[in-house]
Formats: sequence, structure tokens, C-alpha cells
Amino acid sequence: MTGFIDLYTEAGTFLHRTDPRVKIVAVATLSLLALIMSNLVNLLVLAAVMVVLILFGRASFKKTMLAFSYVFRVMALIVVLWPLFNPGGTPVLFDLWPIKITEPGILAGIATAVRIFCLAAAWYLLMFTTSQRDLVRGLVKMGLRFDFGLSLAMSLRFLPTFSAIVESIKEAQRARGLELDKGNFRKRAKDYVAVLVPTVITALKMADTLSLALQSRAYGARADRTYVRELKMRAGDYVALFIAVAVFAIPATVKYIFSVPL
Amino acid sequence: MQALHLRDARFRYKGSTAWALDGVSLDVEKGEFVTILGANGSGKSTICLMSNGLVPHALPGDLEGTAEVFGLDVRSHPVTELATKVGIIFQEPESQLFCMSVEEEVAFGPENLAVPSDEIRERVEWALELVGMEGYNDRSPFSLSGGQKQRVAIAAALSMRPDMLVLDEPAYALDPVGRVELYQVLKGLKEHHGMTVLLAECDSEEAAKYSDKVALMKDGRVISYGKPRDVLGDPERLRALGVTPPQVSEVSALLKERLEGADFSFISVDEAERAINEKFTNRKRGREQ
Ligand SMILES: Nc1ncnc2c1ncn2[C@@H]1O[C@H](COP(=O)(O)OP(=O)(O)OP(=O)(O)O)[C@@H](O)[C@H]1O
Ligand SMILES: [Mg+2]
Repeated sequence: MTGFIDLYTEAGTFLHRTDPRVKIVAVATLSLLALIMSNLVNLLVLAAVMVVLILFGRASFKKTMLAFSYVFRVMALIVVLWPLFNPGGTPVLFDLWPIKITEPGILAGIATAVRIFCLAAAWYLLMFTTSQRDLVRGLVKMGLRFDFGLSLAMSLRFLPTFSAIVESIKEAQRARGLELDKGNFRKRAKDYVAVLVPTVITALKMADTLSLALQSRAYGARADRTYVRELKMRAGDYVALFIAVAVFAIPATVKYIFSVPL
Repeated sequence: MQALHLRDARFRYKGSTAWALDGVSLDVEKGEFVTILGANGSGKSTICLMSNGLVPHALPGDLEGTAEVFGLDVRSHPVTELATKVGIIFQEPESQLFCMSVEEEVAFGPENLAVPSDEIRERVEWALELVGMEGYNDRSPFSLSGGQKQRVAIAAALSMRPDMLVLDEPAYALDPVGRVELYQVLKGLKEHHGMTVLLAECDSEEAAKYSDKVALMKDGRVISYGKPRDVLGDPERLRALGVTPPQVSEVSALLKERLEGADFSFISVDEAERAINEKFTNRKRGREQ
């Protein structure tokens, strides 16, 4: 649980200012674009564009590295394993039964890794430049039911609370002589019950108060609920939306209507 | 019409055989600051929860007798309606703040009541200023101290423009500084905004200092109700009821015991100073003569 971090970094760049709904659309179109392209050069160009956008978004270096460290590991794995499992085409570079490696196999592996990078970068770009609050607000405005949005917001909000609770319970059990993270798997699993049970009880108690607090603040009083900050599409947002759609629509037309491979 | 009017009120939680409230009579006048004191399980929280209808609507059970809030019977008015008259703050600061920012937290009530956005923003600023939390709009409630969380919870109640605040052991998890700040906010609300304040507490220190009236509870009944100095004078009795007596009242009891002719009964430091000064100046004068 302690592994959770909020990727958002506060800054005033155009990416931060863009309406969250537009950014959600852009993530979708950029992801689709990465999926319909298979040519390595095209994918590299897209990846370069993503890198530039992330630099524009001024995400904190530490958070960026942390976020991408997982992606890089997956990419490395794909580059190594893809050619081994897809030994199609010629020229054959290496053939010693049962291992056969071909040039198209290697290129396809690299292309897939770059595609994964582009997909991850699109999502991270959204997470880097949009606060959780705006994200939820955007989703609700796009038609997500308010109570679902509220649940989503509350789970994000309570993540740090629960990791704090888990930590304090661990601490309390250690003080009573429980040695967590020692011994074989069975012992460890048993020891963690001593952390799990109080955590669940605390969580249930909190949920009780939470439900009373929600009702005390007139939750569900009226169907025509208002919002303290309304999202408003400005001129720049419409331009961004147009670009976000075009970025996918144009290549898709080229590929599927004019049958040009991308 | 009183802010809270309980007459022979009895309440039994569903599935339980004992009466949590067993014939409570209690009147809280508008603009008063009233503290309910009592041991664990004496029924303080049940009264608090009844004040905005959570008992019996969210927590069902058998309710008998009269239970009115600003003239409204809690049985026939839903929580969402009573919530605009009574703002409630719970003991545990963490679980009553569920939004991602302080601003959304304070805006949540008026949003549900469909107040226009402009007015909500005004109310948010107003409420945050009243509790001394202006400028914290974009902070996550999680990142605040216990005392700040409780003050945000108060602001979140105030933004619904209630006439009464009800707080169930709000200072329980707070450090001494947080306690003082919390009580100062409540005092200001009462004095400058005519707010009615109803508090449940286990410790009578602040009750003695800030309340107009104190109610002592035992086993689901109010056994005495009146001015702090009339109700809190006897530390032994308070301890027997599971309530921490005010520290100075212990001094008062000690002096009474050790000094012949001393009939001290004070519950605040100011009172103590006056009484002791008077006593000893009199004595000195007596000797000089
Ligand atoms: N949800 C519930 N269901 C059943 N019984 C309850 C419930 N809540 C409280 N009670 C019972 O009602 C009685 C009064 O409880 P209440 O919580 O009002 O006391 P309290 O004075 O607030 O105590 P504390 O100091 O522990 O908060 C107790 O006997 C308690 O066990
Ligand atoms: Mg209680």
C-alpha cells in the first residue's frame, strides 16, 4: 500500500490548464493511434512527440522516473522475448534449434516496446498534469454517475489514510513482540492476519462514520446538485480537442480508407 | 421554540434490549452553549445523533416521547432537511472528511442543496475564515493536523448555514493546542454569530470554562442540568460519574478539606484567584487587628 503515489505535479502549463475532458479524449486518441501504427519509424516519431509533451508538462523528475521505471522493465522484457517467440520472416540472423531469431522478429519486438511506451506515456501525461480532483470532475461531467465519481474520489482520498492505518497497526503489533517479515511463508501469512483484522475493523468503523457524515451534509438531498467549480470549455480547449481528434482521425483515414500501411 | 427540546425521550437501538436514552428531558435555548458530560455509554452520542435525525432515520430503533429540533419532530423530518438547521461534527476527524480538497469538503453540503456556484464560493470563503482556515482551499484534508481537520469539519457544517452546531467529543484526538483553538472557534461563533452550540465531552475542563449550561448524564438520563458552577462543584461526584473534574475544582475541594472555615467552591482559575485572595486578605486583616 505504501507504493502508492500521486503522480500529479502542480504547475501552470497549457497542459495543466486544458480541460480534463479534452485530456481524457486525447489519451484515448493517442492510445488508438499507437495501436493502429506498426511501422517502427512512425512509432518512434510518436514516442518522441510524447517525450516532448511530457517535458512540456513539467512533471517532477523523480515521479517521472518512478512511473517509467516499470514501463522500461516491461519494454526490456518485450525486446528480448518477442523475437524468441515470433521467429517469422527473413533474413534469419541466428538459428540453433530450438532458438531461431530473425530480423523482422527483432524489429517487431522493438516496435511493440515503443508502442507500450507510447500508451503508457499518454496515460502518464494525463496523470502528471491533471489533479485527481479534476480527473474525477471531468469523468462526472462526461457522464459518469455522480455517486460513482464520489466513490472514486473517496477511494483516492482514503488511500493515504489506509496506508497510515496499516503502518500504525504494524507498529503496534511489533511493539507487542510480533515479528513481521520473518520466518517462512506460512508464518508470515499467519502474522499478517494480526495486521489485517484490526485494519478491516478500523476500516468498517470509518465507513460507518463516513456514511453518517455524508447524510449530515445533505448528500442526495436533490437531484439537481450544483458544483462549486463548473468546468468550462474555453477557446483553447476547443482547439486542443480538435487537434486531439485530428491526430487520430487523419492517420486512421489514411490507413483504412487509402490503405497506406502506417 | 427551543433549539433542542427533549421531553421524556426514550430511544432503543434496533436489535438491542436496553434503552440508550431512558427518559431524557433537556432543553437547549437558541444561542446557548451547552455541554453534555457523562461516562462511556451514558447516551451522549445518541443525543447528538438525534439532533439532526440520524437517530432514528439512519440508525433505526424505537423512539418514544418528545424529540424536537427548532420545533420540528425528528421522526417526521428527514436528515437532509434537519441538516440545514443542525450541523454535526464527529469525534474522529479523519473519517468525516472525504473530499480531495478543503474547498470541495466545505462546498459539499451546499452543492447537495443545489446552491448556485457563486454563492457556494462565497460561503466557502466565509466559513473558512470563521474557523481560521482561510487559504487552505486546495490542501488535501489528509495533510492537515487533527485540530485543523476538526475546524474544516466545522466549516463544512457552517457552509450549510445551520442555526446549531452539535459536536460529539470533537477534541478527543486533539493535542492541547488543537483543543484550545477548537474551543476558541466555538466561543467566537456563539458570541459573534449567535450560534447555538451543543457539545458532548468526557472531560469537564472546557465545559466549565465555555458553557452556559452543563448537563450530567448517567445511564441514559440527565441527572443534573444547570450553570457549570452549580453542576461541576463536586469533583468526587463527577469522578463517580466517569467525568474528569476541572483541575481547579480539585484544588478547591482540597482547600475546603484542609483549611478550617474555608468554604471554597470554584470551577475556574479566575474564580479561584478571587476567592483565595479574598480569603487570605481577610485573614491577614484579622490578625493585624
Ligand atoms: N449503533 C448502536 N447499536 C446498538 N446500540 C448502540 C449503538 N450505539 C450506541 N449503542 C448503545 O447505546 C448506549 C448509549 O451509547 P452512546 O454512544 O450514546 O454513549 P456515549 O455517552 O456517547 O458513550 P461514549 O463516551 O462511549 O461515546 C450504549 O449502551 C451503547 O452500547
Ligand atoms: Mg459517544
